[in-house]
Amino acid sequence: MIAKAIALFKKDYHSELRTRYAINSLAMFIIVAISVILFAVGQEKLSEGLAGGLFWVVIFFTAMSGLARAFVSEEERGTSLTLQLIAAPSTVFSGKLLFNIILVFCMNTVIALLYAALFESFVIKNFSLFVFAFVIGNIGLAVSSTIIAAIIAKAGAKGTLYPVLSFPILLPLILTSVQLTLFALDGTSIEDAKFELAIVVSYDVVMLTVSYMLFDFIWKD
Amino acid sequence: MKNKYIFGSFIIVVFLGIMIYLFTQSNIQYQDDFTQVMNTTKTVKATGSWVKEKSYHHDKENNTFTFYMVDGNGNEMKVAYNGSIPNNFETASSVVVTGKYVNGYFHAKDILTKCPSKYEDEQVRTSTL
Repeated sequence: MIAKAIALFKKDYHSELRTRYAINSLAMFIIVAISVILFAVGQEKLSEGLAGGLFWVVIFFTAMSGLARAFVSEEERGTSLTLQLIAAPSTVFSGKLLFNIILVFCMNTVIALLYAALFESFVIKNFSLFVFAFVIGNIGLAVSSTIIAAIIAKAGAKGTLYPVLSFPILLPLILTSVQLTLFALDGTSIEDAKFELAIVVSYDVVMLTVSYMLFDFIWKD
Repeated sequence: MKNKYIFGSFIIVVFLGIMIYLFTQSNIQYQDDFTQVMNTTKTVKATGSWVKEKSYHHDKENNTFTFYMVDGNGNEMKVAYNGSIPNNFETASSVVVTGKYVNGYFHAKDILTKCPSKYEDEQVRTSTL
Protein backbone atom coordinates (compact mmCIF):
# COMPACT_ATOMS: atom_id res chain seq x y z
CA MET A 1 0.00 0.00 0.00
CA ILE A 2 2.82 2.38 0.88
CA ALA A 3 4.64 1.51 -2.35
CA LYS A 4 1.46 2.25 -4.30
CA ALA A 5 0.97 5.55 -2.50
CA ILE A 6 4.53 6.55 -3.32
CA ALA A 7 3.96 5.56 -6.96
CA LEU A 8 0.89 7.80 -6.97
CA PHE A 9 2.92 10.63 -5.47
CA LYS A 10 5.56 10.20 -8.19
CA LYS A 11 2.87 10.34 -10.86
CA ASP A 12 1.55 13.60 -9.38
CA TYR A 13 5.06 14.95 -9.07
CA HIS A 14 5.85 14.28 -12.74
CA SER A 15 2.57 15.68 -14.04
CA GLU A 16 3.12 18.75 -11.84
CA LEU A 17 6.60 19.26 -13.28
CA ARG A 18 5.14 19.01 -16.78
CA THR A 19 2.35 21.58 -16.34
CA ARG A 20 3.67 23.48 -13.28
CA TYR A 21 0.10 24.59 -12.60
CA ALA A 22 0.12 24.40 -8.78
CA ILE A 23 3.68 25.69 -8.39
CA ASN A 24 3.01 28.65 -10.67
CA SER A 25 -0.26 29.63 -9.00
CA LEU A 26 1.29 29.36 -5.53
CA ALA A 27 4.37 31.36 -6.53
CA MET A 28 2.32 34.08 -8.24
CA PHE A 29 0.01 34.35 -5.27
CA ILE A 30 2.88 34.63 -2.79
CA ILE A 31 4.57 37.36 -4.82
CA VAL A 32 1.36 39.33 -5.38
CA ALA A 33 0.13 39.06 -1.77
CA ILE A 34 3.45 40.00 -0.20
CA SER A 35 4.02 42.95 -2.52
CA VAL A 36 0.50 44.25 -1.84
CA ILE A 37 1.21 44.06 1.89
CA LEU A 38 4.55 45.80 1.37
CA PHE A 39 2.88 48.65 -0.57
CA ALA A 40 0.09 48.95 1.99
CA VAL A 41 2.52 49.07 4.90
CA GLY A 42 4.82 51.60 3.23
CA GLN A 43 7.21 53.23 5.66
CA GLU A 44 5.18 52.18 8.67
CA LYS A 45 6.84 49.77 11.07
CA LEU A 46 4.60 46.72 11.56
CA SER A 47 4.06 45.57 15.12
CA GLU A 48 4.96 41.96 15.92
CA GLY A 49 1.32 41.01 16.37
CA LEU A 50 0.40 42.37 12.97
CA ALA A 51 3.36 40.69 11.23
CA GLY A 52 2.43 37.29 12.75
CA GLY A 53 -1.20 37.69 11.72
CA LEU A 54 -0.38 38.80 8.16
CA PHE A 55 2.01 35.84 7.85
CA TRP A 56 -0.91 33.45 8.35
CA VAL A 57 -3.25 35.47 6.13
CA VAL A 58 -0.81 34.96 3.25
CA ILE A 59 -0.41 31.26 4.10
CA PHE A 60 -4.17 30.68 4.23
CA PHE A 61 -4.98 32.34 0.90
CA THR A 62 -1.96 30.84 -0.86
CA ALA A 63 -3.07 27.40 0.27
CA MET A 64 -6.56 28.18 -1.03
CA SER A 65 -5.23 29.19 -4.44
CA GLY A 66 -3.09 26.14 -5.18
CA LEU A 67 -3.90 23.10 -3.08
CA ALA A 68 -7.29 22.30 -4.61
CA ARG A 69 -5.42 21.06 -7.70
CA ALA A 70 -4.73 17.65 -6.14
CA PHE A 71 -8.20 16.30 -6.91
CA VAL A 72 -9.55 18.93 -9.30
CA SER A 73 -6.90 17.99 -11.88
CA GLU A 74 -7.96 14.32 -11.78
CA GLU A 75 -11.56 15.38 -12.28
CA GLU A 76 -10.76 17.76 -15.16
CA ARG A 77 -8.68 15.23 -17.05
CA GLY A 78 -11.26 12.53 -16.37
CA THR A 79 -8.72 10.21 -14.79
CA SER A 80 -10.47 9.77 -11.47
CA LEU A 81 -12.35 6.67 -12.65
CA THR A 82 -9.09 4.97 -13.65
CA LEU A 83 -7.62 5.85 -10.31
CA GLN A 84 -10.63 4.31 -8.55
CA LEU A 85 -10.05 1.08 -10.45
CA ILE A 86 -6.36 0.64 -9.74
CA ALA A 87 -6.02 1.76 -6.13
CA ALA A 88 -7.82 1.58 -2.78
CA PRO A 89 -9.27 4.88 -1.47
CA SER A 90 -6.82 5.14 1.43
CA THR A 91 -3.89 4.63 -0.98
CA VAL A 92 -5.15 7.45 -3.21
CA PHE A 93 -5.54 9.71 -0.21
CA SER A 94 -2.04 8.90 1.10
CA GLY A 95 -0.47 9.71 -2.24
CA LYS A 96 -2.32 13.00 -2.61
CA LEU A 97 -1.62 13.91 1.00
CA LEU A 98 2.11 13.29 0.56
CA PHE A 99 2.12 15.54 -2.49
CA ASN A 100 0.22 18.32 -0.70
CA ILE A 101 2.41 18.10 2.42
CA ILE A 102 5.51 18.64 0.31
CA LEU A 103 3.81 21.47 -1.59
CA VAL A 104 2.73 23.16 1.69
CA PHE A 105 6.22 22.85 3.16
CA CYS A 106 7.86 24.40 0.09
CA MET A 107 5.28 27.18 -0.07
CA ASN A 108 5.47 28.08 3.62
CA THR A 109 9.26 27.97 3.70
CA VAL A 110 9.31 30.47 0.84
CA ILE A 111 6.75 32.68 2.62
CA ALA A 112 8.69 32.54 5.90
CA LEU A 113 11.99 33.39 4.18
CA LEU A 114 10.39 36.30 2.29
CA TYR A 115 8.82 37.61 5.50
CA ALA A 116 12.11 37.36 7.38
CA ALA A 117 13.86 39.22 4.56
CA LEU A 118 11.27 41.93 3.87
CA PHE A 119 9.67 42.78 7.22
CA GLU A 120 11.99 44.09 9.89
CA SER A 121 9.58 43.29 12.72
CA PHE A 122 9.41 39.61 11.70
CA VAL A 123 12.39 38.52 13.79
CA ILE A 124 12.09 35.04 15.26
CA LYS A 125 13.46 35.03 18.79
CA ASN A 126 12.68 31.41 19.66
CA PHE A 127 13.68 29.47 16.59
CA SER A 128 13.01 25.93 17.86
CA LEU A 129 9.45 26.87 18.88
CA PHE A 130 8.86 28.43 15.47
CA VAL A 131 10.11 25.32 13.63
CA PHE A 132 8.03 23.00 15.81
CA ALA A 133 4.87 25.09 15.36
CA PHE A 134 5.62 25.49 11.64
CA VAL A 135 5.93 21.72 11.06
CA ILE A 136 2.77 20.68 12.93
CA GLY A 137 0.84 23.65 11.55
CA ASN A 138 1.83 22.73 7.99
CA ILE A 139 0.79 19.11 8.45
CA GLY A 140 -2.61 20.23 9.73
CA LEU A 141 -3.03 22.65 6.82
CA ALA A 142 -2.08 19.96 4.28
CA VAL A 143 -4.42 17.32 5.73
CA SER A 144 -7.43 19.67 5.91
CA SER A 145 -6.89 21.15 2.47
CA THR A 146 -6.48 17.71 0.87
CA ILE A 147 -9.73 16.33 2.25
CA ILE A 148 -11.63 19.53 1.35
CA ALA A 149 -10.13 19.41 -2.15
CA ALA A 150 -11.54 15.88 -2.49
CA ILE A 151 -14.98 17.07 -1.37
CA ILE A 152 -15.17 20.03 -3.75
CA ALA A 153 -13.59 18.29 -6.79
CA LYS A 154 -16.97 17.19 -8.12
CA ALA A 155 -18.79 20.45 -7.35
CA GLY A 156 -19.54 23.23 -9.82
CA ALA A 157 -18.11 26.49 -8.44
CA LYS A 158 -14.83 25.07 -7.14
CA GLY A 159 -12.97 28.36 -6.87
CA THR A 160 -15.38 29.96 -4.42
CA LEU A 161 -16.46 26.83 -2.60
CA TYR A 162 -12.93 25.89 -1.56
CA PRO A 163 -12.04 28.86 0.70
CA VAL A 164 -15.60 29.08 2.03
CA LEU A 165 -15.60 25.43 3.08
CA SER A 166 -12.02 25.56 4.36
CA PHE A 167 -12.38 28.58 6.55
CA PRO A 168 -14.43 27.06 9.43
CA ILE A 169 -12.38 23.87 9.33
CA LEU A 170 -9.04 25.67 9.35
CA LEU A 171 -10.11 28.35 11.86
CA PRO A 172 -8.93 26.58 15.06
CA LEU A 173 -5.61 25.73 13.40
CA ILE A 174 -5.03 29.26 12.14
CA LEU A 175 -6.00 30.97 15.42
CA THR A 176 -3.62 28.76 17.39
CA SER A 177 -0.85 29.04 14.81
CA VAL A 178 -1.07 32.85 14.86
CA GLN A 179 -0.72 32.68 18.63
CA LEU A 180 2.28 30.32 18.32
CA THR A 181 3.95 32.56 15.72
CA LEU A 182 3.49 35.49 18.12
CA PHE A 183 5.10 33.45 20.88
CA ALA A 184 8.03 32.61 18.62
CA LEU A 185 8.44 36.30 17.72
CA ASP A 186 8.15 37.27 21.39
CA GLY A 187 10.71 34.70 22.48
CA THR A 188 8.36 32.74 24.76
CA SER A 189 9.79 29.36 25.84
CA ILE A 190 8.37 26.09 24.51
CA GLU A 191 7.31 25.26 28.08
CA ASP A 192 4.91 28.24 28.12
CA ALA A 193 3.51 27.45 24.68
CA LYS A 194 2.75 23.80 25.45
CA PHE A 195 -1.04 24.30 25.52
CA GLU A 196 -1.06 25.81 22.03
CA LEU A 197 1.30 23.16 20.68
CA ALA A 198 -0.91 20.43 22.13
CA ILE A 199 -3.98 22.01 20.48
CA VAL A 200 -2.33 21.91 17.05
CA VAL A 201 -1.12 18.31 17.56
CA SER A 202 -4.63 17.17 18.55
CA TYR A 203 -6.06 19.07 15.57
CA ASP A 204 -3.68 17.15 13.28
CA VAL A 205 -4.68 13.81 14.82
CA VAL A 206 -8.41 14.59 14.57
CA MET A 207 -8.21 15.76 10.96
CA LEU A 208 -6.06 12.79 9.92
CA THR A 209 -8.47 10.28 11.49
CA VAL A 210 -11.54 12.01 10.06
CA SER A 211 -9.96 12.16 6.61
CA TYR A 212 -9.05 8.48 6.47
CA MET A 213 -12.50 7.50 7.77
CA LEU A 214 -14.52 9.70 5.43
CA PHE A 215 -12.41 9.50 2.29
CA ASP A 216 -13.91 6.10 1.36
CA PHE A 217 -17.35 7.70 1.06
CA ILE A 218 -16.16 10.87 -0.70
CA TRP A 219 -14.12 8.94 -3.25
CA LYS A 220 -16.68 6.27 -4.13
CA ASP A 221 -19.60 8.56 -4.93
CA MET B 1 -14.18 -2.79 8.71
CA LYS B 2 -16.61 -1.98 11.55
CA ASN B 3 -13.72 -1.84 14.02
CA LYS B 4 -12.02 0.84 11.96
CA TYR B 5 -14.93 3.25 12.43
CA ILE B 6 -15.34 2.50 16.13
CA PHE B 7 -11.63 2.97 16.74
CA GLY B 8 -11.58 6.11 14.59
CA SER B 9 -14.54 7.70 16.36
CA PHE B 10 -12.90 6.95 19.69
CA ILE B 11 -9.70 8.76 18.65
CA ILE B 12 -11.70 11.71 17.30
CA VAL B 13 -13.78 12.10 20.47
CA VAL B 14 -10.74 11.89 22.76
CA PHE B 15 -8.62 14.38 20.84
CA LEU B 16 -11.52 16.75 20.21
CA GLY B 17 -12.13 16.75 23.97
CA ILE B 18 -8.48 17.52 24.65
CA MET B 19 -8.56 20.31 22.08
CA ILE B 20 -11.66 21.97 23.51
CA TYR B 21 -10.30 21.69 27.04
CA LEU B 22 -6.98 23.26 26.03
CA PHE B 23 -8.74 26.05 24.13
CA THR B 24 -10.30 27.23 27.38
CA GLN B 25 -6.90 27.01 29.12
CA SER B 26 -4.82 28.92 26.63
CA ASN B 27 -6.48 32.32 26.95
CA ILE B 28 -4.74 35.13 28.76
CA GLN B 29 -5.66 34.90 32.41
CA TYR B 30 -6.49 37.62 34.89
CA GLN B 31 -4.12 37.80 37.82
CA ASP B 32 -4.67 39.96 40.87
CA ASP B 33 -1.67 38.69 42.85
CA PHE B 34 1.48 40.54 41.78
CA THR B 35 3.90 38.02 43.33
CA GLN B 36 2.57 35.51 40.77
CA VAL B 37 2.75 38.07 37.98
CA MET B 38 6.44 38.57 38.78
CA ASN B 39 7.19 34.85 38.80
CA THR B 40 5.63 33.91 35.47
CA THR B 41 7.00 34.65 32.01
CA LYS B 42 3.55 34.42 30.45
CA THR B 43 1.47 37.33 29.23
CA VAL B 44 -1.14 38.10 31.89
CA LYS B 45 -3.76 40.69 32.69
CA ALA B 46 -2.73 42.15 36.01
CA THR B 47 -5.42 43.96 37.95
CA GLY B 48 -4.70 46.46 40.71
CA SER B 49 -4.80 50.14 41.42
CA TRP B 50 -2.50 53.04 40.73
CA VAL B 51 -0.28 54.23 43.60
CA LYS B 52 -1.14 57.93 43.72
CA GLU B 53 1.65 58.78 46.20
CA LYS B 54 4.38 57.68 43.80
CA SER B 55 2.82 59.60 40.91
CA TYR B 56 3.46 58.81 37.26
CA HIS B 57 5.96 59.89 34.69
CA HIS B 58 5.52 60.45 30.97
CA ASP B 59 8.69 60.57 28.87
CA LYS B 60 7.80 62.63 25.80
CA GLU B 61 10.93 61.74 23.80
CA ASN B 62 10.54 57.97 23.99
CA ASN B 63 6.76 58.19 24.42
CA THR B 64 6.82 55.90 27.43
CA PHE B 65 4.56 56.15 30.42
CA THR B 66 5.60 54.70 33.79
CA PHE B 67 3.71 54.38 37.02
CA TYR B 68 3.40 52.13 40.09
CA MET B 69 0.60 49.67 40.71
CA VAL B 70 -0.45 47.96 43.92
CA ASP B 71 -2.57 44.81 44.34
CA GLY B 72 -4.97 43.82 47.12
CA ASN B 73 -2.18 42.42 49.30
CA GLY B 74 -0.06 45.57 49.07
CA ASN B 75 2.55 44.26 46.61
CA GLU B 76 3.83 47.04 44.40
CA MET B 77 5.29 46.86 40.90
CA LYS B 78 6.52 49.31 38.33
CA VAL B 79 4.62 49.38 35.02
CA ALA B 80 5.96 50.74 31.73
CA TYR B 81 3.74 51.40 28.73
CA ASN B 82 4.71 52.50 25.24
CA GLY B 83 2.23 55.24 24.50
CA SER B 84 0.49 58.22 25.98
CA ILE B 85 -1.47 58.45 29.22
CA PRO B 86 -4.87 56.76 28.84
CA ASN B 87 -8.03 58.78 29.35
CA ASN B 88 -9.47 58.99 32.86
CA PHE B 89 -6.24 57.56 34.27
CA GLU B 90 -6.18 59.88 37.27
CA THR B 91 -9.76 59.22 38.30
CA ALA B 92 -9.63 55.46 37.70
CA SER B 93 -10.58 53.29 40.65
CA SER B 94 -8.71 50.28 39.30
CA VAL B 95 -6.38 49.53 36.40
CA VAL B 96 -5.96 46.37 34.26
CA VAL B 97 -2.65 46.05 32.42
CA THR B 98 -1.94 43.36 29.82
CA GLY B 99 1.67 42.32 29.34
CA LYS B 100 4.49 40.54 31.11
CA TYR B 101 7.01 41.11 33.87
CA VAL B 102 10.63 41.31 32.64
CA ASN B 103 13.78 42.79 34.21
CA GLY B 104 12.20 44.36 37.27
CA TYR B 105 9.17 46.01 35.72
CA PHE B 106 5.93 45.15 33.95
CA HIS B 107 5.90 45.79 30.19
CA ALA B 108 2.30 46.69 29.41
CA LYS B 109 0.91 46.32 25.91
CA ASP B 110 -2.49 47.63 26.87
CA ILE B 111 -4.02 49.58 29.76
CA LEU B 112 -7.67 49.48 30.75
CA THR B 113 -8.96 51.94 33.30
CA LYS B 114 -12.04 51.42 35.37
CA CYS B 115 -13.87 54.59 36.22
CA PRO B 116 -15.66 55.14 39.51
CA SER B 117 -19.36 54.70 39.00
CA LYS B 118 -21.54 57.73 39.56
CA TYR B 119 -24.32 55.56 40.89
CA GLU B 120 -22.51 54.71 44.10
CA ASP B 121 -22.03 56.20 47.55
CA GLU B 122 -25.11 58.40 47.27
CA GLN B 123 -26.58 58.89 50.71
CA VAL B 124 -30.25 58.10 50.92
CA ARG B 125 -32.04 61.18 52.15
CA THR B 126 -35.02 60.63 54.32
CA SER B 127 -37.86 63.05 54.19
CA THR B 128 -38.24 65.31 57.22
CA LEU B 129 -41.79 66.24 56.56
